[in-house]
This record gives sequence, C-alpha cells and structure tokens, in this order.
Amino acid sequence: MININNNVSGSLNAIKGFLEHSPTSSGTGFKASEVGAEKQKSDFADTVNAVGKYLTKVDDLQQSSDMSMKDLLSGKNEDITSVVSAVAKADMSFKLLVGVRNKLIEAYKQTMNMPL
Amino acid sequence: MEVSNTFGPIDIAISGMRAQNKQMEAITSNAINIHTTDNGRGEPYRRIEAIFKADDDDISGVSLDKIAKDTSDFYKVLKPGHPDADENGYVMMPNVDLATEMINLKSATRAYQANVAILKRYQKMVETTLELLR
Repeated sequence: MININNNVSGSLNAIKGFLEHSPTSSGTGFKASEVGAEKQKSDFADTVNAVGKYLTKVDDLQQSSDMSMKDLLSGKNEDITSVVSAVAKADMSFKLLVGVRNKLIEAYKQTMNMPL
Repeated sequence: MEVSNTFGPIDIAISGMRAQNKQMEAITSNAINIHTTDNGRGEPYRRIEAIFKADDDDISGVSLDKIAKDTSDFYKVLKPGHPDADENGYVMMPNVDLATEMINLKSATRAYQANVAILKRYQKMVETTLELLR
C-alpha cells in the first residue's frame, strides 16, 4: 500500500523548499515559509504580483537575446553560440511565464464561473 | 561553475560548443598549413592542438586551456628545386598528417553535434515539464 498522506506532504515540502529558495517568491505576500506557521493568507493579487516580478526577469532575458542578435547581425559580435544561448534562455523562461499566466487565468475564470 | 539553476545545462552545452569550435579552428589551421615551409621565423609550420580544461572539478563546463604546439619532428622531403631546400635538396615540411587532422575533424564535429543534441533534448525536457501546467 502506498501511503498517500506521506507522498502528498513530501511533495508539498518539496514545493515549499523550492519556493523558499526561488528568488521570485521573496518579498511578496506569497510566502510559503510562513504557511505552516501561522496560516498567512495570500490573495490572488499577491500571486499575480509575484508573477509580475518574474516578468521583469523574463523581459531582461528577452532584451539580452535581442541585443546579442543585433550584435551578431551588425558584426559587433561574431560568436553565434552566445546568441543561441541567449535565445534558448529567453525562450525557456518565456514558455514558463506563458504557462503560469495561462494557469492563473484559468484559475480566475474557474473562480468567476463558480455558481453562487 | 555552480549549476543549480534551470540554465545550467544550457551554459555547459554552449561551453562545449565553443570549445569544439576552437578545436575546429586549430584543425583548419593545421590542414591549410600542411605545405607551409616557412612560418615567418625560418621554420616550417608547427602543428597545433587545442587543449581543454574543465572549469571546475564538480559539474562544470569546459573552456580552452591553451593552444599547444606539437613538438614531434618535421617531415623531411626531397625537393631539390624548392627555395627552402638545404644543400642536399631536402625541405623540412610541417609535422601535419592530413589523415590525423581528418579524424580529429570528425571527432570535433561529432562532439559539437553531441552538445547540440543535449541542448535540444534539454529544451524538450523543460517543455515536457511545463506541460504539467496545462
């Protein structure tokens, strides 16, 4: 028999640890470290704000990928691998952002469609 | 290089691609200078090889350590009419063997492809993980 409770709490702890170490979640209302302690409530806006902070990071990566592409095309930089690296990073972080955004909107819609 | 973030594998694969790029540069230099009897200092061209080193003894990328010179003997070829020939008609030719360079080129190409394959696969992996959000 699989102990489901154990599994669930284990993965929750893993998520908590991840959130504590991830830089995007610090300084917002979405503090996982305090969830267990005093059941601090975070509302939807806080989560959206947390995503907004991540947005600037994604934008930075996009900008740097843009810059490296421009540098390559203008001949300032001839290293094509750095362009590949910057583009791969920008692409990856943007996909994560879109995934989180879709999930958030889905959650919002589901909440709004809740029959009262 | 500490690898604790999502971009670690990308950086490592890119460092590998850069290193193999350098290796290919060295091979090209060897191949085109196979008949260069004068390197500007009265000596034939000496074969070079790119030597790599790991950035760290933990998980790490690779970087170019140095471009080393091959210290093996030059080839001696009988070419009496050659301007660089000695009094017996022998010319010192670079210590480059084209077959060796060909094999090295193949292995550098394969190593480059391996890095690209890893990069691609890693991107796929991250995308698979993000599908969990859907």
